[in-house]
Amino acid sequence: MSIVPLITFKAGACEYNDEQRDDNKVKPLPAQGYIYLYSDDDLIHFCWRKRSAPMTEPDLDLVMVPTDGQFVPYTWADQSSAKTNGRIFVLKFASSSSRHFFWLQSKPQSRNGDPSWFSPRDKKIGEIVNRLLQGEEVSATQELGQVRNVDDRRDNDDDETMEDVEGHGGAGHGATGGDIREEGEDAREGGSDGARAAAGGARTAPASDADAAVQNFLRSLQGNAGLGSSSRSGGQQAADKPYPYLNHLLPNETTIPMLASASEAFTDNLLGFLPPTVLVLATGAGDAGDVEPSAEAAAAARASLRLAEKKNLLQKVLRSPQFHQALGSLTMALRDGGLPTIAEALNVKVANGGYIRGGGMPLGGGEAVEAFVEGVKTTVKEEEEQRRQ
Amino acid sequence: MSGGWNTIESDAGVFTYLLENLGVKGVQFEELLTLSPEELAPLQPVYGIIFLFRYPSEGLPPRPKESYDHDAAERLFFARQTIQNACGTQALLSVVMNKTDEVDLGARLSEFRDFAMALPPDLRGEALSNSELIREVHNSFAKSSPFADETQRAGDDEAEDAFHFVAYSAVGGTLYELDGLQPAPVSHGDCGADDFPSRVAGVLADRVATYASSEIRFNVLAMVRDPRVAAAEMGDQETLAREEEKRRQWRWENALRRHNFVGFAGEVLKGVVAEKVRQGDGAYEAWIQEGHRRRERDEGAMRLRRKMGAAGGDTGDGDEMMLG
Repeated sequence: MSIVPLITFKAGACEYNDEQRDDNKVKPLPAQGYIYLYSDDDLIHFCWRKRSAPMTEPDLDLVMVPTDGQFVPYTWADQSSAKTNGRIFVLKFASSSSRHFFWLQSKPQSRNGDPSWFSPRDKKIGEIVNRLLQGEEVSATQELGQVRNVDDRRDNDDDETMEDVEGHGGAGHGATGGDIREEGEDAREGGSDGARAAAGGARTAPASDADAAVQNFLRSLQGNAGLGSSSRSGGQQAADKPYPYLNHLLPNETTIPMLASASEAFTDNLLGFLPPTVLVLATGAGDAGDVEPSAEAAAAARASLRLAEKKNLLQKVLRSPQFHQALGSLTMALRDGGLPTIAEALNVKVANGGYIRGGGMPLGGGEAVEAFVEGVKTTVKEEEEQRRQ
Repeated sequence: MSGGWNTIESDAGVFTYLLENLGVKGVQFEELLTLSPEELAPLQPVYGIIFLFRYPSEGLPPRPKESYDHDAAERLFFARQTIQNACGTQALLSVVMNKTDEVDLGARLSEFRDFAMALPPDLRGEALSNSELIREVHNSFAKSSPFADETQRAGDDEAEDAFHFVAYSAVGGTLYELDGLQPAPVSHGDCGADDFPSRVAGVLADRVATYASSEIRFNVLAMVRDPRVAAAEMGDQETLAREEEKRRQWRWENALRRHNFVGFAGEVLKGVVAEKVRQGDGAYEAWIQEGHRRRERDEGAMRLRRKMGAAGGDTGDGDEMMLG
């Protein structure tokens, strides 16, 4: 049987003890997964599966009677003791007291890094699921296309939104993927006002005829080739491809000798990617308090350092736990769907832009890290050739 | 609610500059490796102790009701914890806000204290979590990871345990335990500034002994007077130089903590790949193979660690995350 999900998004299950106790906690379970909904015989199936599991083998498969279920954000106000430290949705039933909790595993979008802040997009996903449970016909693709996320943290340059959700059966890659990657550019929509505006404006009619025709066409293909996330995790490719993390590729034993033989130009280039404080401290300046020096001070510091001092400084950074932690989180981001945006930000040419061939989902897991490293290889080879010409 | 609180590291350098950036003058943190009075006494004057520990998910043993000093909850700066990620900062403030006769809070924090002291303890916690000043300084010490921390945490077996910070300080002749998850300060009896090191060491040792040793990991930081003040007064150049070096090291670490390493990592990777490509002769493939080997080794080590459980002297490695 082939399943055509109406919506699929990254979410994890939570453990919850049903007994009524004050200190009851919703405990997010670490397994990476997807929530997806599909329709069968006019009944909606609400499913959760691990990312590695095929769509036909969900860990949770609830057949939902229309209007019985409610899928809503679980917020601080619902809890007696402590604030949540993640974005949690609860699935409730009119017919029973049982509840299921899920946490969103996409990247949090909060300006201040509040992990419990629901972005307009997060809310929209919840709203779509809830409306599907009420028996409404919703085009996830179209609806999501109308919500822009806000992503305006400090380090905006490298801080792109990752593709976290796939509305199925729409116009495919061009509609979902394309829109999502442009998110976060419009800071005016930031904050809760933006959320209200976006959510309010998005209540539109069900899919148009043209849209329905496209959906039908795509559905007819689905069983054979698979599209979007279904090809990524449906059956054919159950296991993660083993590939080293960036930490394993860039241990001190590798980076320090590379640095030792590096040219002054390359060394200076690397220094340009360090925080100014580190450069100023390397000149032996005293304790000026914990304030960031100006770019001029950093440039002056850099100019005053000899090559050996520069390499010494870089060596310390390469050995620092902070750098190694950053390699870990960069690897996780690549594995978790960040390849297209990271490659673009770093000017690394990756095959097919980092997306699965013929689908709108980014590569994931070990495949994504491999594509990234291979992309770096291609890029440096090209640069080398250009230099020779 | 105005915005979120990120997790920050429990680290002497982070805490010292956190208070300094809030405007507090002449205070420093020292990480303690033991719970012995001998280690604490030379650091005098010690304003208080920040005790971070991880406890199993079943929770903590309850306290007898009579140990709460409800009167002190009003009189002292005691705030009920409302924001989990803010708990470390809250513990620091619990000490320093009760040491106004010895420590200069600076104008902005004094103003906040005046405002908060007029409120009952539960609203003080609320006021703290709504303070732009405190939240911004706190968050400025968060790791600059542009990516979802949730994905990192997801792979961590230890994520299910909770972390919590508790402050201990001698205020007005009594040793208090200031824990924002408790309804009021807990009194541990009479205690002057001079016997604080020995008294608090005893209380902490008792506390640690109530948990099975394999179940608790902890990290102890002492809030002391900036040693440079006394060193400068006494012309102790050696101490002065040593402490200045320590500060430089802290600033270095703080700068790297805040740094977004994505660009740097990309350049380093390009440098290494370019080197391997230049070397030719399968150097690139050999490097990838070496990476595979390292990964397998790491995974093997992780499995082994899981098998061995939490056993081992795994106390405060200075890199704990504040989660509770």
